Amino acid sequence: MISTIRSEWIKLRTVRMNLMLFILAVAFPVIVSVLVASLANISDLKVSDVAGLVTGSSVVTALLLGVVGAVSISAEFAHGTIRPTFAATPQRMRVLVAKAIVTALFAAVAEALVVIFCFVVSSAIASSRGASLSLSGQPEAKAALIGIVVFAVIVSLLGFGIGMVIRNTPAAVAVLILWPLVVENIILAILSAAGVNHPQKFLPYISGFGLGNPDGPSSDSLSRVNGGLYFGAVTLVVAVIGAVVTARRDA
Amino acid sequence: MITVTDLSKRFGRTKAVDHLSFEVRPGTVTGFLGPNGSGKSTTMRCMLGLDRPDTGGALFSGKAYRQLSSPLHEVGSLLDAGYVHPGRSGRNHLRWLAASNRLPRSRVDEVLDLVGLTSVGGRRVKTYSLGMRQRLGLAGVLLGDPQIVVLDEPANGLDPEGIRWIRDVLVHLASQGRTVLVSSHLLSEMAQMANDLVVIGQGRLIEQCSVPEFVERHADRWVRVKSPALGALVDAAKAQGAQASVIDAATAELRGVTTAAVGELAARGGFVLHELSPQTGSLEDAFLQATAFSQEFAAQPVVAP
Repeated sequence: MISTIRSEWIKLRTVRMNLMLFILAVAFPVIVSVLVASLANISDLKVSDVAGLVTGSSVVTALLLGVVGAVSISAEFAHGTIRPTFAATPQRMRVLVAKAIVTALFAAVAEALVVIFCFVVSSAIASSRGASLSLSGQPEAKAALIGIVVFAVIVSLLGFGIGMVIRNTPAAVAVLILWPLVVENIILAILSAAGVNHPQKFLPYISGFGLGNPDGPSSDSLSRVNGGLYFGAVTLVVAVIGAVVTARRDA
Repeated sequence: MITVTDLSKRFGRTKAVDHLSFEVRPGTVTGFLGPNGSGKSTTMRCMLGLDRPDTGGALFSGKAYRQLSSPLHEVGSLLDAGYVHPGRSGRNHLRWLAASNRLPRSRVDEVLDLVGLTSVGGRRVKTYSLGMRQRLGLAGVLLGDPQIVVLDEPANGLDPEGIRWIRDVLVHLASQGRTVLVSSHLLSEMAQMANDLVVIGQGRLIEQCSVPEFVERHADRWVRVKSPALGALVDAAKAQGAQASVIDAATAELRGVTTAAVGELAARGGFVLHELSPQTGSLEDAFLQATAFSQEFAAQPVVAP
């Protein structure tokens, strides 16, 4: 298993696009935080604002990491490298689990870097402007910063799962991005119009995004942990379907 | 040793491989020959556990491919030199392959050197020529120093020098006692490197034999004669049951007789002979004849005006 993970890690880091996605994914929230910490009205700046900014801009990070996950498998089908991969390791589930582990770790490291960078940089800027930002006594902000790392990991695995099911890079990336940005909002509108109580609770991505909500859950939504579990469960279902299909089909 | 037994695979309503059985012996290069679309690649994918056969399967030294825990050490395969990520360097392509089977990094540099790609190992594969990609593919085959080698059309798209290089490598591997199975749709190419042939058409085995046996059984043979007294000689040969086709006033091709019989006829009749020679059709003709019934897309013969 270790050798398969090493092999998949080499694959991930030897494609230039993954490095560019990584830099983009980390840089975007950091730049936003720097701008806000530098330009915001300093007397109003609260630690929960900074946490909200980090988690809000991390939506982009998470989606980019989801693209890395989707491409890690769809590109193998596109270039035919899935064949030498399965020829070198005929135990297909081992390959897919190794890919999932590498994708998840890559996403965890990237999002952890985002959280740390953003927080350190905006605290430093804020203190240079005479304000101080501290997480002590701010359990919801703290939980949101940890939660957003979990969220990014789940989105990256969702991308991987969609990639296994769909196999085609543009289609998989489109589904990954349109689902949260368009599909869930349409479903939300339909459910609301139909008079369903608390429709957010049924929507996996919106529920999962509660992981990074710095203000804690509202009465309309699932709690932080339950939302994360729901989103994670949906992702697990997609990934298991993808893995079973990939293991059974002709490569 | 490779043993393929009763292998079948259908895609929808098409039978790609149809109850195919054959053996590949160690110490020889075995050519896997068939027209385009005859099921060679599907057979190889089924052998390597990539496609799931409907019946039968293949054993490599007694083991099914999917049972091998580190396959690269036992079976080196190259299905298509294009199965590489264009954005990855040749060296990195070999590195992930090596890592998956716990082969050391130093082995990557060894095989790069072996195929002559050391100087371009760091370049991205998209900048490689087809010949360089074939060499990279062969480097991947040699990575685990396997006893069994399976290659699908490795000479495809190579220039004569490249084809010669592949041939030398395969012959060398076989001379070390390894088992080598290599497919092609060109018999002439195969005849230069293979000792044994497995010939298939429409997914079925046509023949498994040595190259000389195959030519012996399928090649067209005739006797060419040149004589100033051609008419009389041809009549005498026809009387013995030969078929004759007259080429020009002095030359004819006789089928169904031996050179010895024609010589005796000439001596008995007192005909002067300017030429009497046995002729054999090309290997390509023999192959086309053997697989004629199974060509998936048969073209009409081109008739000279």
